[in-house]
Amino acid sequence: MKGKLPAQTYFDIDTKRVDLDVLRQKLKLKHLEVKNTFNKKYPHVDRFFKEKGQDLGKIREHSSRILGAGAIAGMLFLGSPSEDTKLLPSPQEILSGKDSENSSQALMVDTFKSVLPEKPRPLLREEEKFLEQILSNMTGIPAKASLEGEHLNTTYGYIGAEQHLIRYPGDSLALHSEDEEILKSGIAPGKGAWGYFAQSGEKLSSDLAETEKWYAVVQTLYLPDWNKRFVYLRDWYKHRKVLIVNTDNGKSVVAAIADSGPAAWTGKHFGGSPEVMDYLGGQKYKKGPVLVFFVDDPENKISLGPVEYNNIQVAGVLKNTSSY
Amino acid sequence: MSKIFYDHLINFEEIEIVIRNSSGSSEEKEELWKVVDEIVHHRILGSIFDRLPLHHHQDFLERFHKSPGDESHLSYLQEKIEDDIEAIIKKEMEDLKSEILKDIKKLK
Repeated sequence: MKGKLPAQTYFDIDTKRVDLDVLRQKLKLKHLEVKNTFNKKYPHVDRFFKEKGQDLGKIREHSSRILGAGAIAGMLFLGSPSEDTKLLPSPQEILSGKDSENSSQALMVDTFKSVLPEKPRPLLREEEKFLEQILSNMTGIPAKASLEGEHLNTTYGYIGAEQHLIRYPGDSLALHSEDEEILKSGIAPGKGAWGYFAQSGEKLSSDLAETEKWYAVVQTLYLPDWNKRFVYLRDWYKHRKVLIVNTDNGKSVVAAIADSGPAAWTGKHFGGSPEVMDYLGGQKYKKGPVLVFFVDDPENKISLGPVEYNNIQVAGVLKNTSSY
Repeated sequence: MSKIFYDHLINFEEIEIVIRNSSGSSEEKEELWKVVDEIVHHRILGSIFDRLPLHHHQDFLERFHKSPGDESHLSYLQEKIEDDIEAIIKKEMEDLKSEILKDIKKLK
């Protein structure tokens, strides 16, 4: 076979760092070139956006503002469902046909198949409320799509594999795990969005080590009011617990948000530490659909890491969701 | 929920890796992500307007501005352009990715 496989290309790029200033300059030059060419060719488009007080290049921010204005929540909830919106059955309907000896995990996967759209997309509020009940009852983890008025850009999307994060100055990859497979993911050259976890190795508590081990990445940079409420949101999201559920196999993990990303043009919406990804899908798991809900844990009683399913009978689930 | 109707047609993972590996901080990384994002929007809109008949431009702009994330824009464009719009956007993005990676390779 001629050429390189995608994974080999990935490796080539990965091993060579480019000077940041040179890269920035190159990308900005490219940006200017593309923008000038576009504006010369389509001056009416440039004029259209200027008249609206906007810039085509900032269309993502405009989209965020529209969706975050609050109107969208009402529209999504009250408006007619889009084509790929499945009519939600009641939890009773879903569970009544299941064999009570089915494991809770398998039952949850079946439920996802019944209620989730084929392709990940932002879920409607009523879909999220339904899933909150299912997740809370099946895992025992109080899962919330909205918590204290905050909501992620999406609660259903693709997660991608991330590297280990530097926990303190002088940290090294080898100190992150004794598992060679887990170490193969490597360590990110820069700090996470919230900086070091501790100022030195001595000051790294076991809780902070666990936070890095089970960390999640969410797209805080695209939150509609991220810039406006930066100070508040930065603190609110720092190490915020989330429940991540692999909708293909039902495996679930409680993780802490410790970095921002991935970029919108990667086709991914979330990221997981090597340990998170290993648990959710095994060593070769690099990308897949997941649900990500906040964990309502004001007293910090819920541990990070894999979630054990409640060994409850279907009847118990039915009872607990009967108020839906 | 910040999304643009063509987001799912782009996969610039290799470029993300280069940026991630070159950045010392999250702010630096996000700054470059946004520069790439702006390039993407101009290139995709350019590839659309290259094919969309001029008398539909204003209508499409209004629709796009009103709801940038609405994937039904793809069906609208499909109808007006009569070519496979998703394939056109994907091809444009593959070309852009190659150009950027080629530029980066020259920097090494």
